Amino acid sequence: MTRWRVLLAVGILALMALGALWQPHDPDAIDLASRFSPLTIGHPLGTDHLGRDLLARLMVGGWRTAIVVLTVALVGIVGGCLFGTTAALVGGWGETAILRTAETSIVIPTLIIALTAAAIFGLKPAIAGLALGLAGIGPYTLFAHALARRIVAQPYVHAARALGVSDGPLILRHVVPNMLPAVFTHVGSNAGLAVTAYASLAFLGLGADPSRPDWGGMLFEYRMFIFDHPMLLAWPGLAIAATAALFNWAFDRG
Amino acid sequence: MPFPLRIALRTIVSLLAISLVAFIVIAAMPSDPVAIAIRTWNLPATDQTVAALRAQWGLDLPLAQRYLAWLTRFLGGNWGTSFRTGEPVLSEFARRLPLSLLIGLSGLALALVAAVPLGFAAALNPRGLADRATRVLAVFVQAVPSIWLGLILIWVLGVHFRLIRPFGHDAGSLVLPILLIGLHSTAVLARVYRRDLIHVTTQPFFRTALAKGNSRSAALWRHGHGHAVYALLSAFRAEAGWAIGSTAAIEVLFGLPGISQFLVESIAARDYAVLQAYVMVVALWLILMNAIVEGALHWLDPRT
Repeated sequence: MTRWRVLLAVGILALMALGALWQPHDPDAIDLASRFSPLTIGHPLGTDHLGRDLLARLMVGGWRTAIVVLTVALVGIVGGCLFGTTAALVGGWGETAILRTAETSIVIPTLIIALTAAAIFGLKPAIAGLALGLAGIGPYTLFAHALARRIVAQPYVHAARALGVSDGPLILRHVVPNMLPAVFTHVGSNAGLAVTAYASLAFLGLGADPSRPDWGGMLFEYRMFIFDHPMLLAWPGLAIAATAALFNWAFDRG
Repeated sequence: MPFPLRIALRTIVSLLAISLVAFIVIAAMPSDPVAIAIRTWNLPATDQTVAALRAQWGLDLPLAQRYLAWLTRFLGGNWGTSFRTGEPVLSEFARRLPLSLLIGLSGLALALVAAVPLGFAAALNPRGLADRATRVLAVFVQAVPSIWLGLILIWVLGVHFRLIRPFGHDAGSLVLPILLIGLHSTAVLARVYRRDLIHVTTQPFFRTALAKGNSRSAALWRHGHGHAVYALLSAFRAEAGWAIGSTAAIEVLFGLPGISQFLVESIAARDYAVLQAYVMVVALWLILMNAIVEGALHWLDPRT
């Protein structure tokens, strides 16, 4: 994980976060006088069937996608480290139980988790992120467990144990800091996947409130204009593909 | 324990576990089905009606008893009635499932059939044309969601060149959905298969096979294919899960009347009987796919 990769990932997120701070227009302002506006100075990417500014909607969608990516990463890192290290440290049947559950949970499709989460907690990006993150906890746990197993066998962990360090501080001070870089890279390599998965969920109307602009939701909303105004579909699709490709590139996936 | 028994036991346990989760989660939802039914059917919202409906659906019983009753009914083929359509959920699913299975299975089968020659050609000549092509394809499908690719293809083939009828409902209109579902898995599986074949080429036994006068392709096929197919099948398991999500998006995009299209319509109406049935159908699909893959892996390598 070199420095420019971190910079690239942070840069993508910062660009996406811009939509939370400033938009060229109100993304929900309807202006029926300028429907399907071409690219102009006032509307750099044109307007949609209700005269809403496309750039403003894309920027808000970017921020919502960034929330999803961050939530997925947080849930993955915290959950994976927690279960993985616990399994590695307790050993015995506790370890077997955690690993078996993690393996079984991989079978449950993301769609089902997202569906139930949306039905229980409502349609918010953080909830979609939580659902996508939970769907990833199984593999993260297995990954973190493999790492923690290797670290627990290191002499310095034996030394810490011999000095009387108990399990909690041992995990926080000696095990987790040593596995974080690898876990971070592993979770980061799924950031692009989170972007496309959230787009699919929003397209299905499962990820988020359909009245708020989401890249996937925009693809769904504008799909009937494919004959007359295909550019409406080009921008959100390009935003998804470019973001996912950049994340994948930053974390060298493919 | 003999292998078939072990697989069967695990399948049943997984199914029971998922049914329990599906039941509890859906029972724990904040929106009350009784309130929805009263609104949907325009019933008088008196305490009497509420109590009658709760008794009729067994909502006043303890949770464990409700689960057992639901499971018994579910196994007996009584999947409840859809709020929205007023028809039995089982017959709604029976009508829509064949189409979903057709496009999902065809896409996966296409990927399996295409991944082996592509991955083999890529491993035969690293940095050659096939290797570069599958690499580009893998990078591409990991960034471009199938819905957007589908929209692009609809525009290029249907609007620009007028080769296909977009959003049509004949047998030919299924080709594009199947290709879209298969493309992602083709790229992923071809790369997995190639990676394992390349790994074999670094092994001493592969050098021995070459030294015995085998050509690279013969040695790779005879001594590498078995290894790589093992990894291919393991990756196939993940792709079978992935296919559910992409089938759902593709069904909605092309307006195909499959189970996922039905699900999306049902979520808006909070049609819980349909949600529960969908979770169970999908779980059954995944667990069956899993059992088939495990069976195939066991057949390839009886030590597992």
